[in-house]
Amino acid sequence: MAETDIQAATTAQAAICSRGVTRDFKAGQQTITVLHGIDVDIRAGELTYVVGESGSGKTTLISIMCGILWPTAGEVKVFGTDIYDLSDTELVEFRLNNIGFIFQQYNLIPSIDAANNAAVPLIAQGMDRLEAREKAVAMLEKLNIGNQAGKLPSQLSGGQQQRVAIARALVHEPRLVVCDEPTAALDAASGRKVMDLLREVAVAEDRACIIVTHDNRVFDLADRILVLEDGRITHDGSEMPEGH
Amino acid sequence: MAFDFRNMSFSRQILPVIAIIGLVAAVIFIFFDLPDRELTEPDREPPRAPDAMAESSRVAGAGIVEPSSELVQIGSALSGLVTNLFVQPGDRVSEGQVLFTVDDRAARASLQEARAAIAEAQASIAEANTTRATAGRQLALYRNIDDPAAVSRAEVIRAEGEAASANERLRLARARLAAAQARANSAQTEIGRLTVRAPIAGEILAVNIRKGEYVSTMGGGGNAQPFIEMGQTQPLYVRIDIDEEQAARVAMGADAIVSPRGAAERRVKASFVRAEPLVVPKRSLTNSAQERVDVRVLQVLYELPESNGLFRVGQQVDAYIPAGTGEQDDRE
Amino acid sequence: MIWIAIRMLTGDAQKFYGLVFGIAFSTLLITQQLTIFVNLIERGASGTYNVSSADVWVMDPVSRTADVNFPMPSTALDKVRGVTGVEWAVPHLRAGASVRTSEGDLEGVSVIGVDDATLIGLPKRMAQGSINVLSQPDSVIIDDVGLTRMFEDGRSPIGERLELNDQRAVIRGVADAIPSFTSQVTLYTKYSQALRYVPGTRNRLSFVLVGAEHGVSPEELTRRIEEQTGLRARTRDEFAQDGVDFIIQNTGIPLNFGITVLLGFIVGVAIVGLTFSLFIRDNIKQFGALKAIGVTNGKIRKMVAAQAGLVGLIGYGLGVLGTVFFIWGFSGNPTFKGFYIPWQIPLISMAAVFVILALTGWLALRNVLKTEPASVFR
Repeated sequence: MAETDIQAATTAQAAICSRGVTRDFKAGQQTITVLHGIDVDIRAGELTYVVGESGSGKTTLISIMCGILWPTAGEVKVFGTDIYDLSDTELVEFRLNNIGFIFQQYNLIPSIDAANNAAVPLIAQGMDRLEAREKAVAMLEKLNIGNQAGKLPSQLSGGQQQRVAIARALVHEPRLVVCDEPTAALDAASGRKVMDLLREVAVAEDRACIIVTHDNRVFDLADRILVLEDGRITHDGSEMPEGH
Repeated sequence: MAFDFRNMSFSRQILPVIAIIGLVAAVIFIFFDLPDRELTEPDREPPRAPDAMAESSRVAGAGIVEPSSELVQIGSALSGLVTNLFVQPGDRVSEGQVLFTVDDRAARASLQEARAAIAEAQASIAEANTTRATAGRQLALYRNIDDPAAVSRAEVIRAEGEAASANERLRLARARLAAAQARANSAQTEIGRLTVRAPIAGEILAVNIRKGEYVSTMGGGGNAQPFIEMGQTQPLYVRIDIDEEQAARVAMGADAIVSPRGAAERRVKASFVRAEPLVVPKRSLTNSAQERVDVRVLQVLYELPESNGLFRVGQQVDAYIPAGTGEQDDRE
Repeated sequence: MIWIAIRMLTGDAQKFYGLVFGIAFSTLLITQQLTIFVNLIERGASGTYNVSSADVWVMDPVSRTADVNFPMPSTALDKVRGVTGVEWAVPHLRAGASVRTSEGDLEGVSVIGVDDATLIGLPKRMAQGSINVLSQPDSVIIDDVGLTRMFEDGRSPIGERLELNDQRAVIRGVADAIPSFTSQVTLYTKYSQALRYVPGTRNRLSFVLVGAEHGVSPEELTRRIEEQTGLRARTRDEFAQDGVDFIIQNTGIPLNFGITVLLGFIVGVAIVGLTFSLFIRDNIKQFGALKAIGVTNGKIRKMVAAQAGLVGLIGYGLGVLGTVFFIWGFSGNPTFKGFYIPWQIPLISMAAVFVILALTGWLALRNVLKTEPASVFR
């Protein structure tokens, strides 16, 4: 009974709702199970951290949650849509319209300037290029690097590239933002700044934001922290557990 | 976005434009530089089949224009220097007209001589007559004397002998006269033979002797040129060579269409005269002394109409002759 | 997205120019070599194409090309004239001879005797003088390429005396003709004159040139001539093809050029394939990111196709332009006289470029399409 209640309650609020998500990898003859039936809800309006050692399965978990990696078993609903029920094309379309990505290495396109890089999701949605660029510039201004809009990624500092990547993740106003190790390459101060920024721009009433990190310098900025160990969630709370 | 030169990119804008301009230029070049292989009509009119024969079977042949009398090459019976020439090329002559004379001084001298002999013979006849009359009278006188003693017998015999002798001398003189007259006739004939006359009526086509040249009786044959060439050029004939393989196809008796070399558009209709009974080796019409051809040809003669100088003797012509109907039936 | 693809491509100038160079080089090599090949073997047909007015060529049954012929008896001309559908027929002599120049040098020439009356058989145009000079005694017309070979110092040939078969010949004109395969000096003269210039054999008539009546197709006419005369008759195009075939059968040209063209293709595949693969590998992360963000495989294909298309357009354009410049630049050279680019050849090289790009693009795309979007998180 209680479980049904939870489900009912979360369906209303939860941005992501994963049930029994299991993922196996084949390594030669052996099958390694990376995730063991994860049941978790990610709520909108919160900054959620996924924390864990390397190999704990955190990257696999968010890959599955944002629709770029098929689970071996289980289901994932993103804002009520069972994304692994969609066809390949529908899933790609879904990602394009609903999810913003911030990659650890930014993966900006080196030959186009910051504004165009930020405009990529809009262009991919089919928006006119100049209109998309205008929106992207507006987003960059919001991130305080409007004056760098015309520069190529190689002319920007790491932090600035990070902001361009954030702008690209947010420019099409996705409902879910997925962020992979945003602070890994930054010093503590910059890292906190980025986290503040993310909280400021990425967290909204109907938007969920998942950040994968193992950077303990920024743990205190989370609304909710999920700790993954060996493919299982061992902690779920607003603070890090003792011993970490 | 306004046009801004700084936004122009060499690789993104200028290069593709260059490439497209290059392609357009290449297309233009390729289509305007195609080799000229169009077929053209020949500038000058080649010999064509006449319209009437264009769609029917026909035989073609090449031929040479000749006089209807064939070519007469005038020679001389006697040798000697040419003393007088009375004709030039292009003259029309009637039969028997004097063409040229050969030196006749020797003949005339012997005529003179013969005439002198005639006079001498005549004088001898007169003298013999006189002697015979005298002898006759004397003999008669002796005969009328009855007295045998009045005239000796010897006297009478002498008179009889004189009379007989006078008769003999007269006969001799007459014989000499006849001989002299015969000599005179012979000289006269020789003088006639030294005057060369036209054997037929016709046109003088070539004169190869000049006054003062020596003509020999050997002339007119071998390598030497004939003294005078003439022939009846009204009408002209044309002798067409037909390849022996094609000969059977010729419609004998039909008119031929003939055009001269180099004036193929001027065609005339020539009427059939005869086909030569003898098939001969093809004569070279190409002026090459070395040419030897092992093809035999049938020669067919056609009469050309009056054509005002279009055809001349010796000219080469192209001819088209209809093919025989029987042959056509065979093929069809 | 296409725009982004193009930017990605041109952003890496080194590889972009490498790709353009590869395609341009391939195109140039294929187009230029094929052009030279086609023009070279078409030299085998130049004798036929130089005579502009003959619909049909009639020859002895053993004759093969304009230069490889066996003469016929002179009555063959009349036999041909007797065939229904022949509008006109004229004699044509082609034979080899040796010429002594005024310096005493010996030079092999081909003597072409054209019909005395109509001069049918001469090239269409004259470079110097008019065709009427043949009416003067002992006149010959030399072809313009032969001229450069015989008079290398560039002096005017008009009035030069030559000695042919112990006969005097005076050059009085220069014809504008396509040279033969061997670029041999060609002397045009009247048929009757040619008989004197060429050492004599029994038969002399090499060809009979025939014009067809209106309404009679050359093919039909050749059939009738062959049937009625027993000679070999070829239409102009057939005879030109015979000349080309003769070159193909008797020289190694097709193989040599085929190898070069194949090399061009292989070099193109190698350069473009390698560069394209490198380019894609360099950008594999960006492609992965795009895939994660939500760009479908179809769009990725279009992007790569656009990149290949741009490289192809520029490279092909420059390559064809290079060929045009080559042909145009050498058009003054006697060796390349009359060379042209048959329109089929750029299409062939375009197809080759297409194959190169499709092949290399497909190989490169395989990597991209195989890339898991999830890999961007590692």
